[in-house]
Amino acid sequence: MTTTLRSAQGGLSGPSRVEKRRRLVSARDLPDMLFRGYAWSTGIIVVAIMIAVGVFLALRAGQALQVAGWSFFTEQVWEPDAGRFGIVAVLFGTLLIALIAGVVSVPLAVGTALFISEVASGRFQRTLISLVDLMAAVPSVVFGLWGVFFLTAEVIPVSRWLATWFGWFPLFRVDGFDPTDPLAGANLFTSSPLIAGLVVAFMVVPIQTSVMREAFSQAPAGEREGAYALGATRWGMITAVVLPFGKGGMIGGTMLGLGRALGETIAVYMIISPVFEVQWQPLHTNGNSVSALIANRYGEASPIGLSALMAAGLALFLITLVVNFTASTIVSRSRSGAESEV
Amino acid sequence: MLLPGRTASTLLAACRRALLIALATLLACSATALPVRAETYEPITGSGSTWSQNAIDQWRKNVKANYNMTVNFEGVGSSVGRTQFIANQVDFAISEIPFQKTVAAGAQTSERPEEGTYAYMPIVAGGTAFMYNLKINGKRVTNLRLSGQTITKIFTGVITKWNDPAIKADNPGLVMPNRTITPVVRADGSGTSAQFSMWMSKRHGALWNAFCAKVGWKTPCGLTSQYPAPAGFKAQNGSLGVAGYVSQSYGEGAITYVEYSYALKSGFPVAKVLNEAGYYVEPTASSVAVALIKAEINPNPRSADYLTQILDKVYANKDPRTYPLSSYSYMILPTKVRPGGTFTESKGKTLGAFGTYFLCEGQQQADQLGYSPLPMNLVLAGAEQIKRIPGVGNVAVNINKCNNPTFKPGESPSQNQLAKTAPQPRSCDKVGPTQCTTGTAGARQDTPVTTPTQGRSVDTSTSDAGAGPADGNASNEQVPQDQAVDPTAFDADGVPLSGSARSSGTAVASPFELASSEGWSSTQTLMAIAGVLVLGLVAGPPLLARRLRRSGAPSTTASRSGASGGQ
Repeated sequence: MTTTLRSAQGGLSGPSRVEKRRRLVSARDLPDMLFRGYAWSTGIIVVAIMIAVGVFLALRAGQALQVAGWSFFTEQVWEPDAGRFGIVAVLFGTLLIALIAGVVSVPLAVGTALFISEVASGRFQRTLISLVDLMAAVPSVVFGLWGVFFLTAEVIPVSRWLATWFGWFPLFRVDGFDPTDPLAGANLFTSSPLIAGLVVAFMVVPIQTSVMREAFSQAPAGEREGAYALGATRWGMITAVVLPFGKGGMIGGTMLGLGRALGETIAVYMIISPVFEVQWQPLHTNGNSVSALIANRYGEASPIGLSALMAAGLALFLITLVVNFTASTIVSRSRSGAESEV
Repeated sequence: MLLPGRTASTLLAACRRALLIALATLLACSATALPVRAETYEPITGSGSTWSQNAIDQWRKNVKANYNMTVNFEGVGSSVGRTQFIANQVDFAISEIPFQKTVAAGAQTSERPEEGTYAYMPIVAGGTAFMYNLKINGKRVTNLRLSGQTITKIFTGVITKWNDPAIKADNPGLVMPNRTITPVVRADGSGTSAQFSMWMSKRHGALWNAFCAKVGWKTPCGLTSQYPAPAGFKAQNGSLGVAGYVSQSYGEGAITYVEYSYALKSGFPVAKVLNEAGYYVEPTASSVAVALIKAEINPNPRSADYLTQILDKVYANKDPRTYPLSSYSYMILPTKVRPGGTFTESKGKTLGAFGTYFLCEGQQQADQLGYSPLPMNLVLAGAEQIKRIPGVGNVAVNINKCNNPTFKPGESPSQNQLAKTAPQPRSCDKVGPTQCTTGTAGARQDTPVTTPTQGRSVDTSTSDAGAGPADGNASNEQVPQDQAVDPTAFDADGVPLSGSARSSGTAVASPFELASSEGWSSTQTLMAIAGVLVLGLVAGPPLLARRLRRSGAPSTTASRSGASGGQ
């Protein structure tokens, strides 16, 4: 490389000993310029829209934030018309639901992605891929209906069992539940963050699966064959080659799913029974999420109420932004992510 | 009938031919073949109350089928309806309550519709019912009775168990289970919440104010559209949401406030509510009509609140047939075309026609749907309000051809046929030891009750022997209506005093308490052992194998670790 460069340079500028870095100049013809302009402008527009959304939310939220002050981050009540409202309980509920969704969906998505990329083959594989993509296309309201009318009744016995036998563990505690009371109703276990989280988990599994499958399928064939040649079983090959290679994809998919779980509206809105206090028991009835709160209240909101909802939206926007930026950073730094950029 | 049919078919054949020739001919042809429509109506859109949505949806269907009139309605709650009307987003709104000076208890903001742009028109009456899901020994209860105070205590979190003495006192014939009550309230801004909380604040102010104080509101607090949901409560969206929750299998033990029609639709019972005259009454069309005779309607046509209701006297109506939580639902009509809004004069015509339809014809179905038809005076007043809609044209309600079940042609406007013919409540519905077995609302099946048989030697009985129930009446049959049942003696809670021994008429099992098995017992020990064994079985072999291999052959371990390091 260096030698050829030097000789080429020598040919041009004579016997100068100083090695100048050659400047690369590309000839810009019209199609090139047009394409550059197009790419630049679309990129700028996307960023501008994002910034505009943020600025708009911040401006509209200003009035409410002025009224509430710092209590916006501590108050556990939502009465903007009375000047008392705070995000803490709602934000906590959002994170709790997203966390439950993540805990359930990530192992499911990893397993599905591995099965599709490593075990299934041929037509079967293609069918599975389109099936997962199809699942991603199911509207969230359908998931919500399914959650309300089917899943709730099925989850209640599980919740009850967990609360009965593992109630001593803080995660499975349900206040007010008495296992020795045969008449204890199911009402303590309905509309819980667990049920909402499960439904959201099933909604984010497809997107996580496809991101992970993409990453796994790009694991280099040479390394796979190398692992096999060294006597690895299929599982050995997966743990030694595919998983380390697809780590970025796995983290990225998880974060993308988390981003969607944070923002999921309708399914949560249909399932949850909204309260405005920090409710940390996943099995216990009641919860809340920012997007469900907005969906519930925006229609009847007074100007100050709307401003308060904007403030809640701003908080969600910032959190989702952070999650997605983290995800994309991790994906682009990973080996598989870097490869997919080429 | 044959001849027109034949002409139609020949016309149709002509049409087919015409289709082949030219599109223009087809259009002309179909115009003659289809029945000529006298009117065309521009679609209108409204939003608001879910309380009266069942009636509105039925009317919409009817006008679509009969007049090809499109009326869109979104049941999003009264609060949203009013907000959207102010914001000019809908042509009309449906709300149980007028525009509010304070949007919620403790709120400072108010709804400010532009002066002179709106008018209220009553659309239908109905009862805010208490739909519940309760089983005793696996059998659905359909004849629950509740006094106003008990209801208030349930919905303010004072009573939390179904076997509370107050509920027992209301239901002497039922063996109430030791189950937790789950009050299901509305999560969205709702006119039903407003009506219910207004009744509580007026009738049981102390309890309601204590509840407001508990949730951190300033007292005294009046009505609220946003019902608070403290721990133990459940909040759902819309009437369908609360009714849907209660009617689920997991909703056992739940009770909600919702319009009577939702209980009819979901096939669930409603609680009979105690009125001033001492009878427990179901919110049927006639009991609502009787109650609302005492409603004070704002009589001043110049007032912005013309036709709005004051229900204090309804709550206290002394007629034994009264259902106390009766009220009217209102349509908020535009009286001005506002710039930038959706409403136009041509839409006014549709709105006027729709209004005249449901004031008369539409009221016929009210009873069947679970509402109560409007009386004549409100139909007449409503017809006057319709005339204020811009662009409405020449609409008039012909009161003699109105077909409204509450009056016949030529009657005085103050009369209500439905209230006149309303049946008196049965004697078993009176406060006392007897309880009717018949079901309510959507669940008409009987619920057996334990019948009290009064001993003849009860010394507290001052009345003559004939006042008591028939001798040997051990069946669960309620006492015949003509027989005046006067309870012998009751304590302050309405529980029969000792002396009136109870005997079970039918095979009604009574709940009993099991010795609680709290603490560590053999079950827990066995479970713990089983858990440890499972863990050992899963984790044991690999750990053991590794240990054995390491101690047995150090050379292989070294080579293995070297290989793994190279990876």
